[in-house]
Amino acid sequence: MTVNRAGVFLALVLISALAGLAPAQAGGVNFGDDNDNNSDQGPYFFGFVRDDSGSAVPDAKVTATVKAGGALVTRSNGMGVYKIPGFGKNVDPDSIDISCAKDGYKQDNVVRRPHAAGDNTDPVEVGCNLKKE
Amino acid sequence: MTRAICFAAVIALAFSLIEADACCAQTLTGAVTSAEEGAMEGVLISAQKSGSPITVSVVSDEKGRFRFPDGRLAPGRYTLRIRAIGYDLAGPQAVDVGDASADIAISLRRTSDLAAQLTNTEWLMSMPGTADDKRPLIECMSCHSFQRIVRSTYTADEFVPVLERMAQYANNSIPARVQSRVARREVSDTSVRKLAAYLATINLSRAHGRGDDAWNYELQTLPRPKGRATRVVVTEYALPRPTIAPHDVRTDAAGHVWYSNFVENDIGELDPTTGANRDYPIPVLKPGSPTGSLDLEADADGNLWLAMMFQAALARFDMKTKTFKIFPVDGDLNDDAMQLSMVMPRSAGVDGKVWTNDVARQSIMRLDLASGKYQRIDPFTLLPKGRLHAPYGMAADAKNNLYFMDFADQNIGRVDAASGAATIYPTPTAKSRPRRCMLDRQGRLWFTEFAADKLAMFDITAEKFKEWDVPTPYTFPYDVFSDKNGELWSGGMASDRVLRFDPKTGGSVEYLLPRPTNIRRVFVDTSTKPATFWAGNNHGAEIVRLEPLD
Repeated sequence: MTVNRAGVFLALVLISALAGLAPAQAGGVNFGDDNDNNSDQGPYFFGFVRDDSGSAVPDAKVTATVKAGGALVTRSNGMGVYKIPGFGKNVDPDSIDISCAKDGYKQDNVVRRPHAAGDNTDPVEVGCNLKKE
Repeated sequence: MTRAICFAAVIALAFSLIEADACCAQTLTGAVTSAEEGAMEGVLISAQKSGSPITVSVVSDEKGRFRFPDGRLAPGRYTLRIRAIGYDLAGPQAVDVGDASADIAISLRRTSDLAAQLTNTEWLMSMPGTADDKRPLIECMSCHSFQRIVRSTYTADEFVPVLERMAQYANNSIPARVQSRVARREVSDTSVRKLAAYLATINLSRAHGRGDDAWNYELQTLPRPKGRATRVVVTEYALPRPTIAPHDVRTDAAGHVWYSNFVENDIGELDPTTGANRDYPIPVLKPGSPTGSLDLEADADGNLWLAMMFQAALARFDMKTKTFKIFPVDGDLNDDAMQLSMVMPRSAGVDGKVWTNDVARQSIMRLDLASGKYQRIDPFTLLPKGRLHAPYGMAADAKNNLYFMDFADQNIGRVDAASGAATIYPTPTAKSRPRRCMLDRQGRLWFTEFAADKLAMFDITAEKFKEWDVPTPYTFPYDVFSDKNGELWSGGMASDRVLRFDPKTGGSVEYLLPRPTNIRRVFVDTSTKPATFWAGNNHGAEIVRLEPLD
């Protein structure tokens, strides 16, 4: 049996070319499968938002800004805790800045817990402290 | 003498005015009863004059009485129809409206086919299974009602090829016209089999061994309208072809209704006074690709823009000359999968740019009006790969910064007009699937959380969300409109009801519509008092007007 190597090669090239062209999910219909594919997720960010007396500040705006451009905005919960589910693995956690804001306050400082560089699984804890204006 | 003539003329004029008044004050009133309930509240009574495309409906009050507005029914023979879950019209089937007012007795009898009267919402209430089991069905409503599913006899195995076939249909398909995609769509075999297995438990599958006429679960129904929900007049305008699928609607300064047609390549104009319809054909740019357009928006000059879906273009309709200017997607970007569902021209005057989207690549597109070139912007580059996203409903602020709904996921996005950088705002509710939106003058972005059964607001200045549950579960609101009184109006593909919601008090009214009504974009004309609600019936080839009486 002879194998047409050139033919196999061409087929492989075609397959890979087609795979490259195929849209990720043309039309977006997935028969209701939930969006639970988080395999590409980088570490999540979390922490407390507190005021100058150390009390938790609920409903503060928390912004995670990526140096290259782009941001994700969420809010602290009733206990002053925020959680940002995480950017893609291609985003360096060290290139993400956390800031917080609330009416009647200004940002005091941000406390970033030590985090192993390049570790994409360990959550990053960043506390954000506000001061009454 | 001259004076006498003049006097006589005035008298004659006065009499003619009185006569005209008397003529048009005639009305049709009546009472609705059934043997089971006696006088019945919340029954919709619809009257359609022979040969007219217009049907007017009113609702009986707590005494079972109904009244058509004075002068709304011109003299003639009217076919009558009712809607009251569990009942059919026993009689009369028709009534002659003459020059004088008439009072009629309408009697209802128990229906022998309750299932035929169930809305998609009621089917979802009735079906056994978990919320997760039922969740995929919200996709089905986009092309057809659940009647088709529950009355089928497929087994799970037989459902698999059916689902695979339907996955290759374009979104802009309705029962009256199916359109196939040119670019094949990948479908997960696991999700198809999972859904097929579930569907075979809720239909008339032979696998149940129960025969063809009974479901193995009890049919649940929603109550009839009561109180405030009965004080409304609904007018349906039948469109001339069953293949007209009105998607987005809006009125112009003259009170005419303009709508996008989801399956045919034209824009429609309806004169609500006469019911006359006119189509303005849009050139077909990609023969063989599905036709029809989705989003219909006005620019600052009052001209209309359409997103041409698989025809891969935006169209601007000049309201003075009634002609189109087409902006096809240029070059390599334009392939068989390309699908532009949205357009946002509102603030194009600022920078000469119009926002749109490409559903196939989950990305934002921006048209430069001067060059006709499109730019692709991926607002999700920073987020984990592998999750589905779908930029959908769009709004632009005064600086032409874009706000968009991430319909496949749970985010609102903002794209900065100057830098192109994206900010993602996850909604407080997970898996919410935000759908359509509108930005009001106070910078409040009103939107629906389609999959979460919520209306929501995002304050673009404070960057803060508020969410409200819709009163009826399984409503799946498609769109919401905030009127100038601060009331919200919403509708969707499931419940055949229009929701009027006061976000200040949380109070709401749900107006039942006379027919199965697949609502997409909703529009409220606040030049009338009370406001007038407009929507298309996407699967029913009609435009619906709802006038609350308070």
